Amino acid sequence: MSKANRWRRSAMVAATSAAVLLLASACAGTASSTATGGAGSSSGSPAPSSTAPLVIGASVSLTGDFADSGKAVKAGYELWADEVNKKGGILGRQVQMKIVDDTSSPTQVVTNYQNLITQDKVDLVFGPFSSLLTIPASQVAKRYGYAFLEPAGGGPKVFAQKLDNLFFVQPAPVVKSGDVFADWVLSLPAADQPKTAAYAELDDPFSAPIAENIRARFEAAGIKTVYQQVYPAETRDLSPIMTKVAAANPDVLVSGTQSEDAYSQVKSLVQLKFSPKFMYMSNGANSPVEFPSKVGAANVNGIMSAADWYPGSPAPTSPAFVAAYTAKYGGSETDIDPSSAEAFSAGQLLEAVAAKTGKIDNATIISSLHQGSWPTLVGNLSWDAIGQPTGSFSLIQWINQKLVPVYPADVSKATPVYPKPNWGG
Amino acid sequence: MTGSVHALIQGVVLGILTGGVYALMASGQTLIFGIMKVVNLAQGALVILAAYLSYTLFTSFGLDPLLTIPLTTVIMFGLGVVIQLVFLRPLKREDSAQLSLLVTFAVALLLEGFMSVVWKTTYRSTNTDYANSSWTFWGIQFTVVRVVAFVLSLVALGLLFLLLNRTKFGRAVRATVQNPMSAELLGVESKRVAALGFGLGAATAAAAGSVYGLLYPFNSGSHYDLISELLSIVVLGGLGSVGGAVIAALIVSTSSAVVATVFSPTWSSFTFFVILILVLLVRPQGLFGTVERGAL
Repeated sequence: MSKANRWRRSAMVAATSAAVLLLASACAGTASSTATGGAGSSSGSPAPSSTAPLVIGASVSLTGDFADSGKAVKAGYELWADEVNKKGGILGRQVQMKIVDDTSSPTQVVTNYQNLITQDKVDLVFGPFSSLLTIPASQVAKRYGYAFLEPAGGGPKVFAQKLDNLFFVQPAPVVKSGDVFADWVLSLPAADQPKTAAYAELDDPFSAPIAENIRARFEAAGIKTVYQQVYPAETRDLSPIMTKVAAANPDVLVSGTQSEDAYSQVKSLVQLKFSPKFMYMSNGANSPVEFPSKVGAANVNGIMSAADWYPGSPAPTSPAFVAAYTAKYGGSETDIDPSSAEAFSAGQLLEAVAAKTGKIDNATIISSLHQGSWPTLVGNLSWDAIGQPTGSFSLIQWINQKLVPVYPADVSKATPVYPKPNWGG
Repeated sequence: MTGSVHALIQGVVLGILTGGVYALMASGQTLIFGIMKVVNLAQGALVILAAYLSYTLFTSFGLDPLLTIPLTTVIMFGLGVVIQLVFLRPLKREDSAQLSLLVTFAVALLLEGFMSVVWKTTYRSTNTDYANSSWTFWGIQFTVVRVVAFVLSLVALGLLFLLLNRTKFGRAVRATVQNPMSAELLGVESKRVAALGFGLGAATAAAAGSVYGLLYPFNSGSHYDLISELLSIVVLGGLGSVGGAVIAALIVSTSSAVVATVFSPTWSSFTFFVILILVLLVRPQGLFGTVERGAL
């Protein structure tokens, strides 16, 4: 047997074994459940409905691809339950969270919501993590007439379902999160505005479309595109792309990034000694701890990103949230994942509906949230008929190695710095 | 026009320097195959583990990731020997080549699980004060870390060459590669050679890992992409040929950097696979591979 043959057979073995492993891990994913929060002193016999605990079911990813973010969502839900129970619950009813694991699987998440609603007969439900899981889960909720407050499914396909029971608990759909940067740039005096732009975009539904939205706004305003490139997710080394960016010498670089690629872009630009006058990154740069530790604290200044909740957020309930979070989970303000704040905000909406209407049932929640504006940790939220939030994210910028909100004016704590300072090395 | 020529030259420089890093990683891989006919699917995970080790030594003790390479090399060597003794030695000789794929894949998963527990799954990056610096010559940027990696790989490969060609151990290794049975008849303890050889392959992951952590953000899952690239390099160069691995690493990284710079990153891995397929059509044994079981 030649080496090539042996290699081919070896590759077959590897591929087959990988397939077997995948299958095994998919089958192993059964739901485990934990019930937390709650009064703790339920006294056996069923209580009358007015004082019975308000049970809220949610499926989140505690294992699998979305486990890290899923756990952050769980932390947010449970923290909110604790806090609202300290205040006497909702309309006198203690809140009890029933959280089950969906192993990041779109089929398990359907089973979970089906069980929560029909077997466990939970009063209300909250959403899972990711658009991938939110879509099938929201269909189950729709079928049973449940309001679907979901803090982590903001992709276009979520809204393409046109569900009237769904509410995305963030200020704007994900693909529009970068629009605030375009708003700010186009609000500058004409002489200060960039003339040329480059776009480096990760091929991912939550990355490239953000940059493309900004590009459409910029091109309409006459900012010339000198380079535009979508790169595949497995691109480890962004140096060649950044070489092209540097050669095109744009005034503004708009990066549709996730995390790893954002770090790699900045490192490459520093190594290539090219610093654009304006720089926006959709993700990666909005993490207060991770970003400076990956790219070097001296290289963060001037980079912009967007956020809904961030350390030092001007939302009135933010200080209490931070205090409660650090008391329950330890760490400091900068360790809090925005997903936890978004999950917490879903709970705040329930409190607000109950306070306003004196009722807490699915029909009331759905009809109430379709009207008016609702204050939360992640800003004042309002929705259109299909659950798309109609607000905007906040533009944040690294100034003196700290993330500071700079635009729009109602959240701004500093004047935006431009042109971007050069790299620190 | 001058802008794109400049970008092209910059792309070539990036590619050649990055090739050094890949050569370092792939040399261990091909060595292990050469000695034992084991396709080591855990090599990528070993590189990432070494990256974590030097990351931890840097963040917890302030030790420079380049200066700790001798220390991590010793650790990785020991680990390689242990992996060989525990997981590979029990395999029967006849089907060991194929079984070793499953076993080393299992080792890779084991290491990945271990790393996710110890270091979590967030991305890490070894950020020394020189991690992002570069030297400028004729307007072209030479990244310090990449230049160092290139030199390091030359040094490591030189040492490897001396070890294999100028020492008694090296002779035993080469004898085992050529014909394990006659080597044993002549007094070579082929089991011992196999264990030390695997250790040697793992040891090359140490220097590679230190450099990897300086260049790229990584987490425990990074080894999947890495191992597929390493296998392609090793196959292109010819399984078992250290020199072939070096040439193949340079071809891979230069072609992908140039294609990404001149055309589009979407085509860069495609281009490489076209090269790989063309080479394999003409030379199924790879660039420097031999058809018979033979020379290293």
